[in-house]
Amino acid sequence: MREIVVISGKGGTGKTSVVSALAYVAQKNLVLADCDVDAADLHLIFEPDLAETEDFFSGVKAVIDPASCTNCGICASHCRFDAIRVESGQHKVMSLDCEGCGYCYELCPTQAISLPQQLVGQCYRSRTRMGFSLVHAKLGIGADNSGKLVARVKDLARKQAKTEKQDFILIDGSPGIGCPVIASLSGADQVLFVTEPSLSALSDLKRVWELTDKFQIPAQCVINKADINPAVTEEIKLFLASQGIALAAEIPYDGDFHTAIAEGKSLIEINQSKWSPVFENIWTACSQEKS
Amino acid sequence: MKIAFTSTGTSWESTIDPRFGRTDFLLLYNQEDDSLEAIDNRDIKNVEHGAGPKTAQLIADHAPAILITGNGPGGNAASVLKLMNLKIYVGAGGMTVREAYQAYQNNQLKEGV
Repeated sequence: MREIVVISGKGGTGKTSVVSALAYVAQKNLVLADCDVDAADLHLIFEPDLAETEDFFSGVKAVIDPASCTNCGICASHCRFDAIRVESGQHKVMSLDCEGCGYCYELCPTQAISLPQQLVGQCYRSRTRMGFSLVHAKLGIGADNSGKLVARVKDLARKQAKTEKQDFILIDGSPGIGCPVIASLSGADQVLFVTEPSLSALSDLKRVWELTDKFQIPAQCVINKADINPAVTEEIKLFLASQGIALAAEIPYDGDFHTAIAEGKSLIEINQSKWSPVFENIWTACSQEKS
Repeated sequence: MKIAFTSTGTSWESTIDPRFGRTDFLLLYNQEDDSLEAIDNRDIKNVEHGAGPKTAQLIADHAPAILITGNGPGGNAASVLKLMNLKIYVGAGGMTVREAYQAYQNNQLKEGV
């Protein structure tokens, strides 16, 4: 089984459009995992049936029990996040402000404060309209993505791929370079970067490459919208060559990306003869590269 | 000398867990008495952030001389591990623990961060 992770560092480079096109190409042979949990969107394209749902708990938040609270105010005066306010004479935790540090819990002289685990979202295992399985998750408002959640999504995807005896797990990775991205990358066999010729995208590409390189995972790169700034595209290519990252494809700016998103389809469904060869090539490059 | 492996199971035939921070088990092989000890790390599933440094602490507690793993530790874990007297070998993902140990003995594993 081979795990291929698609990441971009910067948002808006076309990562998810690339993932959905690759999933279309490899549809008979893969389990798809959406680890971009902050802004999960593969479900918009593949119409998952939400066949299996599990609750996801993460982190704690303080809760004050008014029955044993004496309103002494120690908690409010020590809270670094200013998350405890007085409402009609009673101290209350503003849950969106609470970071769950537990300081108030330690200080409360009457043990009126508890730290319950938070239900922050759901994980799903679904059958998509194309037939392959999608593992994805949905976070509640204000809830944080975490390495824990990404690891859980990947765990479910691995199990599913084993059950179905699929050869590939294709992972839409998390943005940035923090904990969720590390969890997206760990255990992966191949990384595909999707970037665009802008200075911020190049800067983020370098940062995310530093992380990938640390994990010694072979990487390839797609430069999307390559013609909108040829100078930066050249700069990206020089960077890729200097680091030994293979250039899997250069894709010129194309309105089909917008059409596909608006219609909830993969690029290949918009124009098969134009896009099928492009993404078949990228898939071949990613799926055959020896680690 | 003690050698630590990140592993998905508890025996020589278990597969190396390519992940460092979120490895299911740490296996400790003690060359002196030829014993293999398994440390259950599966509770790491409940850790939202900072799995790497937590597992690095576990390594520190058992003080092996060698760590054999897959992808290698991330930045935060690496900065902790660097402070220890520890050599890290990576690229053993997919091998069994026994194969990884043999690969290490034959100098076939890359030295990691």
